[in-house]
Amino acid sequence: MSNAEQPILMARGIYKTYRLGKVSVPVLRGVDVTVPEASFLAILGASGSGKSTLMHLFGGLDRPDRGVPGAAGDAAKTGQVLFRGTDIATFSAAQADTYRRQSVGFVFQFYHLLPELTVVENVIIAAMIRHGRFGYPAADVDKRARELLTTFGLGHRLGHKPAELSGGERQRVAIARALINEPPVLLADEPTGNLDRVTGGQILDQLEEYRRAKRLTLVMVTHDQEIAARADAVIRLVDGKVVGQMPAAALAGG
Amino acid sequence: MQDPLHSAAVYQSLLTKRYLTSKIMPLLAASAVMLCTAMVLIVWSVMGGFLNKLLDSGRTMVGDVFIEWPSSGFAYYDELITDLEKDPQVAAATPMIETFGVVSLSDDRVEGVTIRAIDPKSFSRVVDYPSMLWWKPIETPLPKDKLSEDPRLDAKRKQLMADVYNDGLKLAEVPGKDMPEVQAAVIGIEMSGFSKRQDGGFYEPRALVRPRADGQKEVVSRWMPNSQITIRVLPLDRGGRDIQLASASVPVANEFRTGIYENDRRSMFVPLALGQRLLKMDAAQATAPGFNPYDFQGDAGKPGLSTPVVTGEDPARVTTVLIKAKEGTTADQLRVVADAVYEKFAARHPGKVPSIMSMRESDLIKTWEMRQATFIGAVKKETSLVLLILCFISLTASFLILAIFWAMISEKTKDIGILRSLGASRAGIAWIWLRYGIAIGVAGSISGFGLAYLIVTNINSIHEWMGTALGLYIWDPRVYYFTEIPSRVETSKAVVVLTGGVLFSLFGALIPAIRAASLDPVRALRFE
Ligand SMILES: Nc1ncnc2c1ncn2[C@@H]1O[C@H](COP(=O)(O)OP(=O)(O)OP(=O)(O)O)[C@@H](O)[C@H]1O
Ligand SMILES: [Mg+2]
Repeated sequence: MSNAEQPILMARGIYKTYRLGKVSVPVLRGVDVTVPEASFLAILGASGSGKSTLMHLFGGLDRPDRGVPGAAGDAAKTGQVLFRGTDIATFSAAQADTYRRQSVGFVFQFYHLLPELTVVENVIIAAMIRHGRFGYPAADVDKRARELLTTFGLGHRLGHKPAELSGGERQRVAIARALINEPPVLLADEPTGNLDRVTGGQILDQLEEYRRAKRLTLVMVTHDQEIAARADAVIRLVDGKVVGQMPAAALAGG
Repeated sequence: MQDPLHSAAVYQSLLTKRYLTSKIMPLLAASAVMLCTAMVLIVWSVMGGFLNKLLDSGRTMVGDVFIEWPSSGFAYYDELITDLEKDPQVAAATPMIETFGVVSLSDDRVEGVTIRAIDPKSFSRVVDYPSMLWWKPIETPLPKDKLSEDPRLDAKRKQLMADVYNDGLKLAEVPGKDMPEVQAAVIGIEMSGFSKRQDGGFYEPRALVRPRADGQKEVVSRWMPNSQITIRVLPLDRGGRDIQLASASVPVANEFRTGIYENDRRSMFVPLALGQRLLKMDAAQATAPGFNPYDFQGDAGKPGLSTPVVTGEDPARVTTVLIKAKEGTTADQLRVVADAVYEKFAARHPGKVPSIMSMRESDLIKTWEMRQATFIGAVKKETSLVLLILCFISLTASFLILAIFWAMISEKTKDIGILRSLGASRAGIAWIWLRYGIAIGVAGSISGFGLAYLIVTNINSIHEWMGTALGLYIWDPRVYYFTEIPSRVETSKAVVVLTGGVLFSLFGALIPAIRAASLDPVRALRFE
């Protein structure tokens, strides 16, 4: 259905400035990124370079700056964050909620599971949020949650609380939660940053397998060159700007 | 495009359930709600019960409506009663004299009392006189009399009790074998102090130990129906002038109990005829003074006194006529009827009975509620004031929930960020906390209702236990109006208090819910 030419996600000249009282902290200063459908984009950058900020913009959790007409320089510019050609920066609150429910899944560095819920509940809560009070397909969701968790090797831990799991297991739960609604895009902010190499590698292998099977688009923030090397494309954020959108192979070589 | 009910999705109920069962703080909040609802419901039930009993008590003693002309009373009351009973809205009417008097008890104690002279037969048709009589044979013990110690249950005393009960119904007794029946009194059961109320709710005649001449001691039971009392009243003539003290010594036929301390302590019944005789309100010849010191041509030529001239019959009088309404007629409607009947009646006897004008002027045709209007009004006001104060105190529970939720939301900021990242709307987040507040309110209110119900229905035994175990008597029947604390929880009150508990909890959850909803998702996710 979607146009092969049209990228699934695209950032066009976006600016993001945080204001702390009178001081303004420019984080993104004209960022352009293109993410083709079913591709894997890795984002590199120093700490504080705005990687998470960019992810939040892609996920519709935050909005880029709107340019002030007639202002000097960057302040006049209004960027766009396009999801399949629609600017999500102009969404209403309700539209943004729906976008997050249906089109993107988030995975964070520190898992962010709900401590009171069991493993399986942590996964199905995303489906509960997606569906309204009526027409919530409880049986289907339950079945899919179990399948997903089994795929990620957690079939035997369904009733456990997050506190009883290891870091790697928790991150697998978080991934299952992000994927339960089958979003076309997965936004992962340093998903393995808190794990040892071996565990991180295993998780990435499983994710990669799933991604290929489901044609999932993956945008991943990482500090790890090796992980970046697995991506279809890699960008680096420096001083609020993208330095080169290059194929991963080139990066590995250079 | 947006499902309007999306904010009320299933995830909130899952979270409420998990948060409620895994945290101690909300349980504390629910306990606060429980205590507050229980407190309000207990106070309201007891004070409301008190008010209801008060209202009922007015009815117990005087019927629905009464016509009175205090002190000197009015004549032709039989005719008035016949007229009244012809009206389809009147169930029955009865004459009564209400006066103040002094009673000397058998131990030479003197008490000021209200004396009600009644015709027991017709009186029983207006108020439930037979059920007031205490001493009678009973088959089943009182609910609190667990050991069946009530002397009235005693099979050996069955005949005695039956006799005494009959005497009470007639207000007369036969003092000995082959002796003529004499007029007798029925006194309030708390009057003599010799009928001692027991924990089981029944009365036991007090036994006195007194020294005998031979140095021994003897035990004498002071059962009032065995004794004699003397009553003294101050009769007034038709013009309201006092004549002279009149007294009579009468046996006590029985004792009565209304449960209203003031009645049971300071009032008694005597037969109407006795009351009329003592108060000079019985039928008599009306005379004009025949005395003329200058008339030496008096009877038989003797100087000084001459025989008064009989001018006619002066009919018997009573101070009050009590009227009972037929089913479906309110006291206020009955009052209008009584007023109309009295108007016709007074028109037939001009100058002999108080005119309808003076009756209306002094407001002497009253409903039972009007009689106690100031007292009832005071109790009503007191009840609402106390409830208002308690509601104010209950706001503490609201603020407790507010504080607890505020703290929980700070702790759960990250969770809120995650839920937002999963697509939960602001309204959806607010709803988690509101739901949670409602859940705490419902749990707290229901257990508060349970607690209040337990306490109120057992309030008299709790009170007795406090009295015996701790020496703490809060409800002293000598100070309060009733001998028992009202112990019923009304459904309507429970519903109001339950709803109030939930609303107060919701109110406490409101501000934290708004705060949770307005959290910026990105900041919430970055929150450490
Ligand atoms: N709410 C905020 N107010 C002010 N400054 C902020 C706010 N959020 C982020 N920043 C600043 O924006 C910059 C970018 O932050 P961001 O989290 O995007 O960096 P990052 O590249 O993800 O870093 P890291 O690799 O450490 O996760 C940082 O300098 C940070 O201090
Ligand atoms: Mg970051």
